[in-house]
Amino acid sequence: MKILIADDSRVMRQIVIRTLRQAGYDDHDIVEAEDGADALAKVGSENPDLVLSDWNMPNMTGIECLQALRASGSAVPFGFVTSEGSPEMREKAANAGAMFLIAKPFNEDTFKEHLDGVIA
Amino acid sequence: MTSTDTGQRRRSSDARPVIPDLIDEATILSIVEEAWVALVGEDEVLVPLAGDLPVDILSSWVDVVGPWTGSVVLTTGRDTAEELSRALLGEAAPEVLEHEDVEDAFGEIANVVGGNVKAALPGPSGLSLPQVGNAPVVRNPADVCRVDVVWRGEPVSISVQGALPPLPVSSPTH
Repeated sequence: MKILIADDSRVMRQIVIRTLRQAGYDDHDIVEAEDGADALAKVGSENPDLVLSDWNMPNMTGIECLQALRASGSAVPFGFVTSEGSPEMREKAANAGAMFLIAKPFNEDTFKEHLDGVIA
Repeated sequence: MTSTDTGQRRRSSDARPVIPDLIDEATILSIVEEAWVALVGEDEVLVPLAGDLPVDILSSWVDVVGPWTGSVVLTTGRDTAEELSRALLGEAAPEVLEHEDVEDAFGEIANVVGGNVKAALPGPSGLSLPQVGNAPVVRNPADVCRVDVVWRGEPVSISVQGALPPLPVSSPTH
């Protein structure tokens, strides 16, 4: 399957990719996006099976990207990987249609906990 | 003998909380240690010890805006910031680091630490994107909670500091 990773930090995108590999999800196509607007465009052009997105990004935030996707009729599975895991943000994410929110810092166990069943 | 009221004492009538009322050093240290293990490496040890920062320092920080407003600032030697960036990049680290690699990696540590500090504070509040450079100045010495650690023999300070000046001292009415 194809996984789109959206984060304005290149380092964090690499850490997410590394953690996916450590969690055993190492046989998938990875597409990177550097902010929410780039992610929105690449959901259209790349047709990923899952989006893993940061929340706080320039140009378009992760939650704005998710809202734009749902408003456009896209039902692509979407999860947040963000440094902010407060109950308010988890509620906001769930209300917007996110499947999960993984708070940074994370490890491969956190990924397995949230992604088992989501990633085939 | 006279004493000067610097306005640093906290009063129950203060409308604005200062950071020592909201979070303690142990909580900050625990957040930093967790971030270090996940981002820098599983075997990376932080020793809670104050050390003298070198002359050439670099800071990364994020701003928190809400019931408490301020910054979560990491400061260390420029060389240590580069070493940290290499550790985060792992095998993807280039032979020669660009400044933007350091900005990205060192800023991301501040982002993760800051996001978790924010989650421990009363909300709702917003978090800025990380910045790297010269740290914001301390506006109110009573509104600072600082933790000093040593990583690979080099000092790193983590300062959670208010962005607002002290409230005026109320004078007794007669």
